[in-house]
Amino acid sequence: MARNTIIPSQVVIEQRKRVGIQLETVTNVSGTDFPGNYPDEDHAWDVIKFAENFKVEFHTLAPWDASFSLIGLDASVANAFRRILIAEIPSLAIEWCFVNNNTSIIQDEVLAARLGLVPFTGNRVGLLDFLKWYKKPAEGEEKVEGTDYNTVVLDLQIECTHNKDAARNERDPLKKYNNAHVYARDIKFIPFGRQAEHFSGENAIRPTNPDILLAKLRPGQVIDIQMHAIKGVGSDHAKFSPVATASYRLLPTIDILRPILGQDAVKFKKCFPAGVIGLETVTKKEAAQKGSGYEGHEGEKKAVVFDAMKDTVSRECLRHEEFNKKGEEKVKLGRVRDHFIFSVESVGQWNSDEMFLESIRHLRTKCESLKADLADLKMKGT
Amino acid sequence: MSRETYEAPNTGSGSRAPALGRGNAESALGGEGPATQYKCGDCNAQMKLKRGDPIRCLDCGHRVLYKERTKRMVQFEAR
Repeated sequence: MARNTIIPSQVVIEQRKRVGIQLETVTNVSGTDFPGNYPDEDHAWDVIKFAENFKVEFHTLAPWDASFSLIGLDASVANAFRRILIAEIPSLAIEWCFVNNNTSIIQDEVLAARLGLVPFTGNRVGLLDFLKWYKKPAEGEEKVEGTDYNTVVLDLQIECTHNKDAARNERDPLKKYNNAHVYARDIKFIPFGRQAEHFSGENAIRPTNPDILLAKLRPGQVIDIQMHAIKGVGSDHAKFSPVATASYRLLPTIDILRPILGQDAVKFKKCFPAGVIGLETVTKKEAAQKGSGYEGHEGEKKAVVFDAMKDTVSRECLRHEEFNKKGEEKVKLGRVRDHFIFSVESVGQWNSDEMFLESIRHLRTKCESLKADLADLKMKGT
Repeated sequence: MSRETYEAPNTGSGSRAPALGRGNAESALGGEGPATQYKCGDCNAQMKLKRGDPIRCLDCGHRVLYKERTKRMVQFEAR
């Protein structure tokens, strides 16, 4: 017997998507839009339906910092993208340090660990396409010599000396000595083989942040280290992670249920970060409307939600009796369960938006290999 | 007990303990062997000392000396 499928109204759908945020609890956390949960409703996943509802909105787009919304997505998929961004997209970092001399107070192994964490940038095409994986030898195996397409050689040679031009009573070590501080910018890239084609002049491999302090020196102290950088993934070591932050949050919602007027409105505005709540004047038309709560308040200030996205969901407004009195709550906080505001901050080797597309590509290849494996399994089973 | 009256355990009673380095050891070994480069812990002066030489800076008399770091390359993993 074929039963008629019920299509819920838009209001109901929106209501189901809301996560409720109360003073001390968060309600309605998990999604309910899976098959069989609502009788006679069709919640089977469908590509066409998904494509119709899915939306992407960009908020900021700088080369190394992007913020965008993915709307109409399941949390598992959004989280997969985040995890792939952090742990599975390759980037270049120092892996071996060959210490010829280091008479500074910072120990060799500590300095090596610091050098490994320095992020590098350079010609993007060269970094992403020309440079390939260096296959690390297995335990006990001899190390394979690197080549120009999988190893980048860097050099740090610095010696601290007295500054002859400094004043006699100078106390600042930076003025009194030359090279008292060793910065990331002192690391020099040495191209070899075909690397010069991709990384020369402006496109040379260099630290993204030249002002990272690596060590401090005093006259007579020397650091002379040669470094080999290779490509790796964040799951191996955090230094290979191409993002500074890759995170998402759900879109906050603020619903004003009853009018908030006068001094209360000012206080309400102060409960939120700047730009979330604005003040408007009650118009004649609103005041004339019966049952709106604005009767007799013409010309007074009222609180209006300007931009809920800027809210940090601190729930400060719920602490105040005048907004959250039991039985006559004036405000309802919530979040939209399928609206993910991503923030992807690159550390210099990828453009943020490009990197996100790469994470999609990664997830797709994973799915394809799983599909192939499943097909293989089925054949073996029969 | 002051420093002058202290007696090292194995030198036998009555005899004064020999000055650091110089004395019995030098007369027995004659101070041969390769010279090693040292640096004074106080004035940073460079000096070469042989076996049996007094452990003392030739310039300032400081008794803490440091060996030079190896000239060989040392490899580390940056993790």
